[in-house]
Amino acid sequence: MKRILGLALGILTAIGGFLDIGDIVTNGVVGSRFGLSLGWVVVLGVIGICIFAHMSGKVAAVSGRATFEIIRERLGPRLAVANLGASFFINLMTVTAEIGGIALALQLASSVTYLAWVPLAALAAWLVVWRVKFDLLENVTGLLGLTLIVFAVALFLLGPNWSELGAQVLQHGALAQEKLSTYLYYAVALFGAAMTPYEVFFFSSGAVEEGWTAKDLGQSRINVLVGFPLGGVLSLAIAGCAAVVLLPEAITVTSLSQVALPVAAAGGKIALAVVIVGFVAATFGATLETTLSGGYTLAQFFGWSWGKFRRPVHAARFHLTMIICLLIGIGVMMTGVDPVQVTEFSVVFSAIALPLTYLPILIVANDPEYMGQHVNGRGLSAVGLVYLVIILIVSLAAIPLMIITGAGQ
Amino acid sequence: MILSELLGRAAYVDSHRVGWVIDVRLRPEGRDPDRPMAVLRVHGLIVSPHSKSSTLGYERSTVRSPGPIAALQRWRHRETFLVPWADVAGIETDRIRLRPDHRRYSPELIISASSPPEAKDFEHR
Amino acid sequence: MRGSYPPDPGAQHPMLDARLHLLDRQVIDVDGEPVTAVDDVELSGPPDPRHLSPDDPAPAVTGLLSGVTLGTRIFGGRSPRSRLHSIDWRAVSDVGVTIVLHIRAGQLEIGWTERWVRDRIIAKIPGGRHDPE
Repeated sequence: MKRILGLALGILTAIGGFLDIGDIVTNGVVGSRFGLSLGWVVVLGVIGICIFAHMSGKVAAVSGRATFEIIRERLGPRLAVANLGASFFINLMTVTAEIGGIALALQLASSVTYLAWVPLAALAAWLVVWRVKFDLLENVTGLLGLTLIVFAVALFLLGPNWSELGAQVLQHGALAQEKLSTYLYYAVALFGAAMTPYEVFFFSSGAVEEGWTAKDLGQSRINVLVGFPLGGVLSLAIAGCAAVVLLPEAITVTSLSQVALPVAAAGGKIALAVVIVGFVAATFGATLETTLSGGYTLAQFFGWSWGKFRRPVHAARFHLTMIICLLIGIGVMMTGVDPVQVTEFSVVFSAIALPLTYLPILIVANDPEYMGQHVNGRGLSAVGLVYLVIILIVSLAAIPLMIITGAGQ
Repeated sequence: MILSELLGRAAYVDSHRVGWVIDVRLRPEGRDPDRPMAVLRVHGLIVSPHSKSSTLGYERSTVRSPGPIAALQRWRHRETFLVPWADVAGIETDRIRLRPDHRRYSPELIISASSPPEAKDFEHR
Repeated sequence: MRGSYPPDPGAQHPMLDARLHLLDRQVIDVDGEPVTAVDDVELSGPPDPRHLSPDDPAPAVTGLLSGVTLGTRIFGGRSPRSRLHSIDWRAVSDVGVTIVLHIRAGQLEIGWTERWVRDRIIAKIPGGRHDPE
């Protein structure tokens, strides 16, 4: 049992990263408009985040230094501050959206307007961040978030034409009614969603929270290799359900309830109830992950004391940062802005900022002074470099695509 | 004097600029049993003829990985040299003057492998 | 260009570069608690910086500095020394991946913001003083 629970960090990181409110809806949108023809992007993104998280987990375990501490050391002062500004702002946007996401999921369950749920959701998230031990937090949220497996179950129950789905995956191009630029825009969005920097901030800081040392490198590897691919599979399942049920009817997903439609069609009320539990758990997990990441980012950059393993009085500025983030989140959400749109923007912006976070980790993972005998082997180094190029291309293409397609219209 | 007064300053010989100070080399002096950490004295200045700042430190170590990045950084900082402190003539508000007969040494820094990461115990509980 | 300029024979610690090894590094106190990141380094001043004499001893590191430097880092320029807090070099016990002190953060002036936030805000919220459960 302990072994299974030992995977909770990887699973929670993946859920918060791939299956937050923005990604759930984006996967639904992609499935309903493009079928599974963007599936290869999810695979590419999963491999990328596995490499990235593996390196940063390794660095955290061997040297005890979490990602943002390294960013400050390795980039020059201007670049490091630019990274801090971008990362923190994106994080804040995401926290805001995730609080909205929890509220939307609860609205699905209760028919009470989501605005009423916003302050409660934020308060619940804060209480967990304030008082609950890190491993309890990750175990419970991770396990509950796994109920999203119901999408994979539903996909089977729907009895789709598998060869047709397979053909979509292999078809590396937009379907007839969509433009190539829109296709590429969603490719960037899906890639950005898979490789969001806050996943790495959270994973590496979580590694320090759990006290991983060089002996736990195997544990780190398993977490990465189980958690992120699982997240990828669930993403594909959500898109697949939408592809099977909504695409043929030309229904385009615009809301959370539409994403749940295929599951209700496949498994009735019970399945729908499970899905809602999954939505609430995933968005709650994402809120925790992004709130903690906001605290980790700022505290690690300035050298403050941080960590949930410390009493709040011994990590005062860290906790204050998170309280302020949640308060800003409540404030912005109450103005009625659409949480899904906010995450879609934040995903694209994180794709733009990604190179600044990825590069220092790639460098340090190759530095024998930090890693001793655990430096990257030539294979990992080479693949790491390939991904650096991919990340740079995505980063440069993001804004032009966003402008050309009007953010995916 | 603080470090940022030296870093990024242009280095001149008479009125001819030879580069910019990108780092300050420090050497530990002896070890007093009463002091846990040795006194660090300025050994020399690292001057780069082509670039005002250094990131990542590739020009001074033997780390070659990842290949293209190390190669790029070494190219940007080619011909970087170490000037012994004794050959620095003066520090002014906008420049650092080197003696006309200043010596130039290789900037390579031998990183000691004497304390591998496994020996570090970052006990935080 | 000549070969390497050798350090003192018998030196027990390898040579360091200030920007590479001291600047922007995390400072940790004797209990393992993070203190700050290094924003600048204080060096003993030569008597007349404009005219250095080979007879004067070389400057030595006297302290690590930290303070509000975000603005100067983005836009350039330098924070006046008076705005930076100092950690005396004699408090340092080791320099490696992090800089380790042999005293507690609480004994340092630099910890005042953390102490202020702790006393004024965090300690006032119920549960702040307890271990998480």
